[in-house]
Amino acid sequence: MKILIIEDNIDLLKDLAAFLTNYGYNCEKAETYSQALEKIEIYHYDLFLIDITLPDGNGLDLISKIKVKENKSGIIIVTAKNAIEDKIKGLDLGADDYLTKPYHKEELNARLRSIIRRNKFEGNNEIEFNEIKINLLTAQAYVNLKQITLTKKEYDLLLYFIDNKNRLITKESIAEHLWGDHFDQFDSFDFIYNHIKNLRKKIINAGGKDYIQSMYGMGYKFKDEDQ
Amino acid sequence: MIKQNKRKIKLLTKTTSIYLVFTFITFFFSTWFLYNETQEYIDRELEKRYNWSEERVKHDLNKYGKLRKKRSSIKINLVSSMPDKSIYPIYSDTLIINDDSERELLYRKKTTYIENNGSVYKAELLQDITDFAKLQEDIFEGLIPAFVILALVIVLFNFFLSGYFFSPFNKILKQMKLYKVGKGTEIPTVETSTAEFSIMQDLLVGMVRRTENEYTTLKEYTENMAHEIQTPFTVIRNKTENLISDDNIMKSHAASVKTIYNEINHLSKLGTALNLLAKVEHGEFSNNVDIKTKDVIVKHIEGISELVELKQLNIELNLDDNHLLNMDPILFDIVIRNLLNNSINYSTNVGPIKITTKEKRISFSNYGPPLDFAEDKIFSRFAKSNNSVKSVGLGLAIVKKICESNGLDLNYFYSEDQHHFQILNSE
Repeated sequence: MKILIIEDNIDLLKDLAAFLTNYGYNCEKAETYSQALEKIEIYHYDLFLIDITLPDGNGLDLISKIKVKENKSGIIIVTAKNAIEDKIKGLDLGADDYLTKPYHKEELNARLRSIIRRNKFEGNNEIEFNEIKINLLTAQAYVNLKQITLTKKEYDLLLYFIDNKNRLITKESIAEHLWGDHFDQFDSFDFIYNHIKNLRKKIINAGGKDYIQSMYGMGYKFKDEDQ
Repeated sequence: MIKQNKRKIKLLTKTTSIYLVFTFITFFFSTWFLYNETQEYIDRELEKRYNWSEERVKHDLNKYGKLRKKRSSIKINLVSSMPDKSIYPIYSDTLIINDDSERELLYRKKTTYIENNGSVYKAELLQDITDFAKLQEDIFEGLIPAFVILALVIVLFNFFLSGYFFSPFNKILKQMKLYKVGKGTEIPTVETSTAEFSIMQDLLVGMVRRTENEYTTLKEYTENMAHEIQTPFTVIRNKTENLISDDNIMKSHAASVKTIYNEINHLSKLGTALNLLAKVEHGEFSNNVDIKTKDVIVKHIEGISELVELKQLNIELNLDDNHLLNMDPILFDIVIRNLLNNSINYSTNVGPIKITTKEKRISFSNYGPPLDFAEDKIFSRFAKSNNSVKSVGLGLAIVKKICESNGLDLNYFYSEDQHHFQILNSE
């Protein structure tokens, strides 16, 4: 899976590239509009991560250029402005999703996975993680082929964990993923704990292993025992 | 600000009224003066003529012992003695029909006594004063119509010409009224030859330029503060997350890393909230439509139903199906989210959170202990309870700002162990 990351902040660019490489993506970097344009014209990418505020141009203009060449590629736009108009314009131009800075890397990963699943795995909408299987079409989860009944939030949480397995996911990241704009409440961490407790119980009761580990009181890791 | 309840009058009406009053006073005194002057002139003139007649009588009596020629205007009679001198001469006006023209003529009769060689004569001297009277009448007849015509001209001038003369002024006023800060509005030049209007226009243009400049600078500053720091925040947060993922670091520095991580999250949220406040203040959300409030409220409640459940709270809805509110949907979303978050954050589970929409009102109420700070500070920025959850402290300030910018009243009161927030559409 080849991805072009277009971001003018070099630290962030390196960090994102390292993070995504770790998840098996083949990352290419572009710091400026012109660099990005050059790469878009020469190479093929499956995914694009575009920061729309670039020093020498507007990232939004890149979308139409990409769409002409690679209609099937997934595009996520990143904005620091949180400006609704930019989001709407970006989505209208053909972007698949948008993120507002500062975003959690796990959230970015989850969004990328979601796009990949949408674009690439038509007809095969299943994710497997050891004994756990998730059917994305029906939004149902199975442990050892036995269906477990999850609430919407528990389902979202499980998917988020599997997308970001073996990585510490902070409570903030989880809360933002589950509640989005309603996350402006720090006591929602208690609710995360509740959701995690229930999810863990449901997996274990269905004969699954306990993959969720609490880390330093800051977050959780969905850890494959083999690793 | 001092409220001025005085009735406002148009400048031109004011000046015209005052001008009319002064014209009237001027005319009144001029007439009075002219009348007096003519009166004095007439009196002097008549007295001269009477004196002349008296001299004639005396001359005739001296020379001839009688009037030399009989005149209709002079009548003398010999009397026995001189009456009380102090009441004479007596003047009286009388109308006499002229024999020749049969016109009524006005005469003034002077009755006096003349002493001549020891004899006393009563003399009645007549003078035709018709022309004099006419002169006085003419003064009135001339001045009163002049005043009326002048008054009419002034009023008509006000009525017809004010539009012409004041049109540049009204145009400038309209520009002032239409001017909105931050829209980059150009103030078109109004052609005027009136010095005051020209000065006013120059001042307006200068003021608008300064305001726009200051606005842009401030806006850029706020936007830069809010936007440009988000990228560094992302970098710091990502790096911190890398540290969090490193077991070796976390084993020895978990507390510090945790603090850095929490504070950077807090800062980032603060930036976003302040930016939103600035945007609302600058009127950047103006896509007003009629919003079905029930749909939005229900959607938000569905989004947080799990939180509500986990907190063992209960939400009681009393929503009018047809309740509408004219606002930018993005702003209304923020209002509902913030009020809802506030209610959930601070509610105790003694009783339900109530949300009601009715006529021109949207109200939220929740049970909870009274505020530990002044009620009027509740919508201030960063007004927080001492034992409050760790929130940014801008949620209600944003709601207040949005309501203000949309002409809505937002009130808070505490009664029967409940916090009440009400949005009132007073229009």
